[in-house]
Amino acid sequence: MSHLSQTRALWAALAGVPLLFAAIAALQMKIDAGTRAYMEENEELLLRSGSAVRKMSLGYDSLLADLYWTRAVQYYGSRAGFANAKFGLLWPLLDIATTLDPKLIVAYRFGAIFLSEPSPAGAGRPDLAVELVKRGIAENPDDWNLNGDLGFLYYWWMRDYPNSAAAYLQGSKNPKAPSWLKIMAARVAEKGGSLDTSRMIWSEIYQSTQDKKIRDRAMEMLRGLKAREDETELDELAQAYKIRFGHFPDSTKAMLDAGMLRAIPVDPAGYPYVFGPDGKSSLVPISPVVIPPDLKAPPEVSK
Amino acid sequence: MNATVGPVAINTFREAVRDRVLYNLVLFALLMIGAAILVGEISIGIERLVIINLGLSAISIFGLVMAIFIGVGLVYKEIEKRTLYSLLAKPIRRWQFLVGKFAGLLLTLGVNTIFMTLGLAAALVYVGGHFVRSDASILVAIYFILLEFALVTALAMFFSCFSSPMLSTLFTLGIYITGVFADDIHGIGEFTKNPAVLAITRTLYYLVPNFHNFNAIDTVAHGGAIPFSLVWQNTLYAALYIALLLVAGSAVFSGRNLK
Repeated sequence: MSHLSQTRALWAALAGVPLLFAAIAALQMKIDAGTRAYMEENEELLLRSGSAVRKMSLGYDSLLADLYWTRAVQYYGSRAGFANAKFGLLWPLLDIATTLDPKLIVAYRFGAIFLSEPSPAGAGRPDLAVELVKRGIAENPDDWNLNGDLGFLYYWWMRDYPNSAAAYLQGSKNPKAPSWLKIMAARVAEKGGSLDTSRMIWSEIYQSTQDKKIRDRAMEMLRGLKAREDETELDELAQAYKIRFGHFPDSTKAMLDAGMLRAIPVDPAGYPYVFGPDGKSSLVPISPVVIPPDLKAPPEVSK
Repeated sequence: MNATVGPVAINTFREAVRDRVLYNLVLFALLMIGAAILVGEISIGIERLVIINLGLSAISIFGLVMAIFIGVGLVYKEIEKRTLYSLLAKPIRRWQFLVGKFAGLLLTLGVNTIFMTLGLAAALVYVGGHFVRSDASILVAIYFILLEFALVTALAMFFSCFSSPMLSTLFTLGIYITGVFADDIHGIGEFTKNPAVLAITRTLYYLVPNFHNFNAIDTVAHGGAIPFSLVWQNTLYAALYIALLLVAGSAVFSGRNLK
């Protein structure tokens, strides 16, 4: 080949290769756009059995466990927060990850959060979360954190206070466990579902976690619990106001004017509470505070 | 013996370097850098775990591929290129040639593994900021991987003494996979309760090299310690098996008609 031909071939390659790559990328985008809905609808795991994946891993099971855990995080992250999101593959992914590496504590702990949070924040399956954490405890009996997580799952999502107290008590038997587990066991057994107990649980979660997302979630819950406590007190005061004046107060300012309050109470976000015609206080609609569910009411579990 | 085995080993190592075998280190480095940077972004709570799992698995996979694909060609290539004839005309026995080749490839794998270990250590420091006491166990896991390489190299060379590279690769891979599943094979026999099946699976269990013995990645990734008894037992197991394969390979190779 002559020098001129070589130069031409080089220029053709320099111009042609990027162009061809661009064309391929554009085509792939078109294929993706056409198949995305189909793929999401039919997303499936090739192997659902953790034992089968383990056999096929040729000894590299812990690396595969990391990959499956990462896939579970991605799967959850791509759906959480979206209305009507389905989490059908979350449990199989967590099941495979923890079968491949039974000591992958993070998969039990965060996996339980992903499973237990109600839709759209999670799969709304606290029953599966309990199963996952129980499996984690069986594989890692020295990790008291898992007992704490199990106690929390029973307490918060299942409202099963005897089992919650038992889980905290079991964890407290671990020599490395902090003393609050034992206190929690007694507290839950005595006052399951009370605001004080809920506040204590979330305070411990807030103080013990290193993860920012969990800390933020715990803070959000603590703010919600504070608002619920305020509302309960305001409702009682509204009843007293009615006895005195024959009608419910229309605002907290009316109660302040009547000398029943020393200042206008505000929610943890700084917004004043409002009253309905029935004398029940509530948050203003623009308040970002979210009041957690009433733990005295029966739980809602989606199947 | 050293005067004959040593130069063969050194030349095998030089040849591997000339063949750019150590270029796989670039891929390993990219893998470690990518994992160290990306994992924190796409996963939760497993940055350090992934670096250890990925690093050790990559060391193992890269080394095994090298051990098999280079190992099966070591003897065959010398025969094909007819360089073996000029070599055997010198005062060197065939078994010395074989042992030299084995040692040379092991040296290559050892150097490769040392560089990969340094890469793994650098990635660990990057994600964790410092080493912890339990990281010493990682070195034991790497030692076990090296024993595995030695065993696979001996297997590949044994088969290459009497068959083509393609068949030797298949045989070595077959034995390796059987060895990884050794525990399961044993379990099948126990499960069936059939005396004949039990006898076959038990024989197979003790016959094939049990590669499951050398897998300590899971343990060290979670900061677990490896008992010293396992270290010397694995060392002895590998040494005995390698001796067996090299003796058998030398016998076959010595009796082979090279005309």
